Amino acid sequence: MRGERKAEGAKRGAVASEAMIHLDHLYRVAVHLAKDPTEAEDLVQETFVRALAAHDQFDPGTNMKAWLTKILHNFFFDHYRQRKRWISTEEIPEPVSDYWEQLPTENPGPENHVLLNELSANITDALKRIPEEFRAPILLIDMGDFSYAEAAEILSCPIGTIRSRLSRGRKLAHQHLAAYVGLKQKGSSTK
Amino acid sequence: MNCAEAQELITALIDQELGQAERSSLEEHLSQCSGCRLAFEDESALKQKIREAARRINAPGQLRDRILSDPRIFPEKRRSSRRWQDYLRPMPPLLRPILAFALLLAIALPMFYFSKPRSEPIALAALETYDLFLRGDLPVRRTENTDQIVEELTRAVGGDFHPMGYNLTAMNLRPVAGLVREIDGRKILVAIYQGPGGSLFCYTFLGSAEDAPPNAARFFDTAKKMDFYAFSRGGINAVLHREGRIICILASEMPMEKLLALAQSKAKPS
Repeated sequence: MRGERKAEGAKRGAVASEAMIHLDHLYRVAVHLAKDPTEAEDLVQETFVRALAAHDQFDPGTNMKAWLTKILHNFFFDHYRQRKRWISTEEIPEPVSDYWEQLPTENPGPENHVLLNELSANITDALKRIPEEFRAPILLIDMGDFSYAEAAEILSCPIGTIRSRLSRGRKLAHQHLAAYVGLKQKGSSTK
Repeated sequence: MNCAEAQELITALIDQELGQAERSSLEEHLSQCSGCRLAFEDESALKQKIREAARRINAPGQLRDRILSDPRIFPEKRRSSRRWQDYLRPMPPLLRPILAFALLLAIALPMFYFSKPRSEPIALAALETYDLFLRGDLPVRRTENTDQIVEELTRAVGGDFHPMGYNLTAMNLRPVAGLVREIDGRKILVAIYQGPGGSLFCYTFLGSAEDAPPNAARFFDTAKKMDFYAFSRGGINAVLHREGRIICILASEMPMEKLLALAQSKAKPS
């Protein structure tokens, strides 16, 4: 009995330690879902709590990053289901100019600080303006390096839906970022 | 293939999610259509910018601390209900002065430690080299001769230890330079690899697992029975492991899970 408890504790500890490897990734996804960095931190912490409570459902050697991301997404939509999940492009919110300022940075480097922060701030703002259904595939595929199949599993939708929403999402992001990131086509020319 | 069909496939081509037949067909169309090629280049550039911006976002230290100290995630070890006096009571009188001396040391040593100027963990300090090199602020002698790099670095530490030299050509990374840094009197050998996909630094120095930053995430590889410590600084990910008395840190902007997998594949159990 004691041996079983010890083995269970060891497995739980191994899952917790491996989960920490994906902390930065989970935080990146969370800051683009949550309304502010504090809420993003709560979201990530709760993801860890839920993952550890269900650690026996994780098969060692399988994709922990995808498993954690799915827990984060599910928790976000379960917990915040009272909120409006989708917004139309006509009711896009004003850019949250101080959002980036609230994000903690770790040693962002001297002269690159301003440029990198500006780039990240613009991209964060642009992504925040995109309806969630088109933003989620960008967060998973462009930021999280997931394949279409993995993103489809996380978001519980067909691969074809991922492909079309990603394409649409990038076109919307393009409209907001064309001038800033030196893209060649005009944002308005996108379909 | 017409432009409308091409536009539908461009996204998947960028993400390397197209089958061979569709890819060939689309690539042929792109070679002939400047409009679609422009759309392809723009979407590729946008994806790259989004990835770069994402890499600059790291979980704040306070969040890491919150998670590490959350008993629902990392349960605290069960505390003993015995009071400290209970430990003294059965002790023979002869041992009491020894205990008193040990207690004195336990109090005095931390005072001595904290009275010295504190420096950040050597593993984090070493990562400064990465930024300096990329900015061109670090004078290094460039060479692609791996043997030469290993020989010169080994000589720099009087043959005490060798730099970890990995063959990373499968990742399209080649050695470009080597250098020696001294931090808190300890010499660190740095081998620098570069390729189209970015840079990778390999730090080697004498030390122990205590050199991992306190906030690093520890990952135990059950196959190799080794600990790996993952941490980040300013968008640079790093994985530390120990082989005997040698500490090796791999640092790169590549995603943490890929860097960890690389470190695990290269590490040799001591």
